[in-house]
Amino acid sequence: MTGPRITWSALAAVAIAAAAFAATWVAWAAGGFAVDVPWAPAWDLRLSLELDGLALLYAVLAAGIGAVVFAYASAYVPRHLAHEGRPRGEEARLHAAMALFLVSMLGLVLARDLILLFVFWDLTAIASWLLIGFDRASRHARLSALMALLVTTITAVPLLIAILVLRREYGTTQIDELIAVARPGWAVALAGALIAVAALTKSAQAPLHFWLPRAMAAPTPVSAYLHSAAMVAAGVFLLSRTHPLLALEPALLDVLLGVGLLSIVVGGLLALWATDLKRLLAYSTISQYGYVVTMLGIGGAAGAAGACLYVLVHAIAKSALFMTAGAVTEATGRKRLPRVGGLARRMPLLAAGSAAAAATLAALPLTLGFFKDELFFKAAAERGTWLAIAAVGAAALTLAYIGRFWGGVFLGRGDVAVEPLERRLVWPIVALGALAVAGGFVPGPFASLAQEAADVTAAGPAPVDVAYHLDTRTENAMAVAAWLAGALLLTARAWLQPLLSALARAGEAVGPERIYTVALGGLNALSNRIHDVEVRDLRARLAAVLVPASALIALGVVFTPAGDTYSAGRLVGADVPLVMMLAVCALAALATTRPRRHLRLALALSAVGFSLAVVYALLGAADIALVAVLVETLFALLFVGVFSLVPARALRKEARRRASRSARARNVAIAAISGVVTTLVAWGAFSRPIPDDPTAQRHLALADEAHGKDVVTVILADFRGLDTLVEITVVLVAAMAVATLLHGRFRA
Amino acid sequence: MTSVLTRYVARLLLAPVLIVSVGILVKGYADVGDGFAAGVVAALALLLQYVAFGNDVVETSLPIRWSPGIAVAGLTLAVLVFAAPMALGDRPLEHLPAAGDEPVHIGSLELITAVAFDVGVFLLVLGAVGTIIGSLVDPDEEAP
Repeated sequence: MTGPRITWSALAAVAIAAAAFAATWVAWAAGGFAVDVPWAPAWDLRLSLELDGLALLYAVLAAGIGAVVFAYASAYVPRHLAHEGRPRGEEARLHAAMALFLVSMLGLVLARDLILLFVFWDLTAIASWLLIGFDRASRHARLSALMALLVTTITAVPLLIAILVLRREYGTTQIDELIAVARPGWAVALAGALIAVAALTKSAQAPLHFWLPRAMAAPTPVSAYLHSAAMVAAGVFLLSRTHPLLALEPALLDVLLGVGLLSIVVGGLLALWATDLKRLLAYSTISQYGYVVTMLGIGGAAGAAGACLYVLVHAIAKSALFMTAGAVTEATGRKRLPRVGGLARRMPLLAAGSAAAAATLAALPLTLGFFKDELFFKAAAERGTWLAIAAVGAAALTLAYIGRFWGGVFLGRGDVAVEPLERRLVWPIVALGALAVAGGFVPGPFASLAQEAADVTAAGPAPVDVAYHLDTRTENAMAVAAWLAGALLLTARAWLQPLLSALARAGEAVGPERIYTVALGGLNALSNRIHDVEVRDLRARLAAVLVPASALIALGVVFTPAGDTYSAGRLVGADVPLVMMLAVCALAALATTRPRRHLRLALALSAVGFSLAVVYALLGAADIALVAVLVETLFALLFVGVFSLVPARALRKEARRRASRSARARNVAIAAISGVVTTLVAWGAFSRPIPDDPTAQRHLALADEAHGKDVVTVILADFRGLDTLVEITVVLVAAMAVATLLHGRFRA
Repeated sequence: MTSVLTRYVARLLLAPVLIVSVGILVKGYADVGDGFAAGVVAALALLLQYVAFGNDVVETSLPIRWSPGIAVAGLTLAVLVFAAPMALGDRPLEHLPAAGDEPVHIGSLELITAVAFDVGVFLLVLGAVGTIIGSLVDPDEEAP
């Protein structure tokens, strides 16, 4: 079956990924690549990108796995859209977001400035939100996308704080400079801990792992890309990138070790329990990245080498397994383990491809994955016996749940009807599986790629030594022990099931996901209540602004040193027109309290504004007076126009309504408080001599040079032009918002 | 329905008010007023037409539909004037003619790029007010 025609957007996505893949290799062969452009020179921020060994590994994975997954997506997404009854055109949105993700990921791994890295860090979160919430009609998908976004961006704030701490202490955000000058101390300890929070959450490590299983609401290609080679890899990438810093504080590495082991166990047990194919793989990802974090926690050359090879192998194998889950669901229409089975005979090619991937992940010999566990065992055994035992247990757990996944899907008896699949849904899996097996026979190229990255992580040579040794060395013994224990675990799973279910239920009842849900619900409720208080009626809203503002200003007045703050000054003859106009203004303001009819009230308000405009004019502020007159006229006309739109009967009825006694007393009190406080402040301000403002003098002097005679206009259009530009942008946004709100309300 | 007098005055005032607004705009650098004031004056002329004639008449006689476009065009013009010097290697918003040079005169009118910036502000204010009025009086129309 050839399947639907490939759209240009799918083709473009594959082409971008393939081009990035090729460009990365070409740049590496040419001796690396570096860009360093000042970005915000005042803050010493630089757009500095550089391709080193670590960046190479992650860029190759992001682009290479990306190209394969995008090819798979070109067949998968049209089917997905058809199932959901959505137009084919929406495909482009997914490919665009995937490409955005790829580009942000490449930026993240190439960035050599921590601020720049942070920008790309959040960009990946935004792209992942778009991707996980692709099925926007589904509430579940929207909530899952929101959860992934919130959890990963809220924990990105500690990363930013860490960057600022380092910048304050060492005066730079360039990673290389930081590594060169940083010394053990509180700054490195604090920054390292904050970086670890961000990185461990991004890599879905316990206890902040819960967003990843939820993110399985995404279409399968998204999971295959984000949750194997990209999004979750970003976390361990950051740990690798900053590893020389983290290694200054051994306690930080111990924390990583602890979190990694916890994640291996939590993720592994839940993967052994889960029945949904994609959720099983998500739990497995938590566990697998637990390995990487553990090895980074072990540190040293052995830990770095193991971590880097592990990331490489895991990305290849896990993306293939995610795509397998998608292909199986497409062929059978089923998503859960007990419902499928015995597919090996019906889909031999898919079975073979994913068998290779599963064998790699389970570290069976003659696959690339074998070496990742060898390095893991070596690093663990060097650290101590207890860690060696834990490592064997972890590997056994991995073998058990991966065996359960593949065996459950492809072995046993099955009577499911199987639809034929197009080639593009199967061949990407076969290609990745073949790669994994090829790595089992010719591990050299993979090892050297991992070694380039490991050298950077360990800040020194970290040889990735991969070879089969047919002897009784410790690693081999541990591997054999792990296979035996894994096989045992797999056969004993039926007895373990009640225990696993209890664990999963306990996690749901009191786990971090529950805390997240409760906290989010509480915040929502609080926001709703504030919203209610603020916008229930106009008077409440005004009170919500006036009363706190008055209280703050009153505090300021009380705590300002007194003295001759309030003085009345002397009245001279030239002031008489001004005082008369102010009296008119005050009378008009008093008059606004009387009328009950809307039109009269509007006219009284206009009278206040016009008399103030005259005051401005008398003070010689012609420009301000002009604007005041214009704005008052505009509002007067707007009021008249709006009143003419409302039926006269409704206006009369509204005018007859009398507020209750208590409400009137409250209104008077609020008005009096804000009036008195404003008067006090204005009086205090006018009582002081006006300070000589050198800026105003300079503006006046420069106006002539700028060919202007009206200094206000020159300030607006020239001296402070950027302010004006921003202000008119706000005007445009406000106008669009008003239009949208009015249309929206009247349509609803 | 408004009185005959209102409608007569509104029709009579339309052209003079628009001319005054253009006057305020182009003479903004030499006299009181600027692009914002000119934009509000022009918007006032528009609003008066609405109050006097109602939506149905104004919609057919004046290009009110273009308001959002006019606003966007104004912002675009302002951004262009802001950013154009950067293409020439200057700092943003470096106006021409430079200090000391004599501007080109057309009659008593001086040609300065800052006035082009002000024209952007004028268009934006006019367009924004037009958009708001348009959506106030005719909320059922499809959002722009």
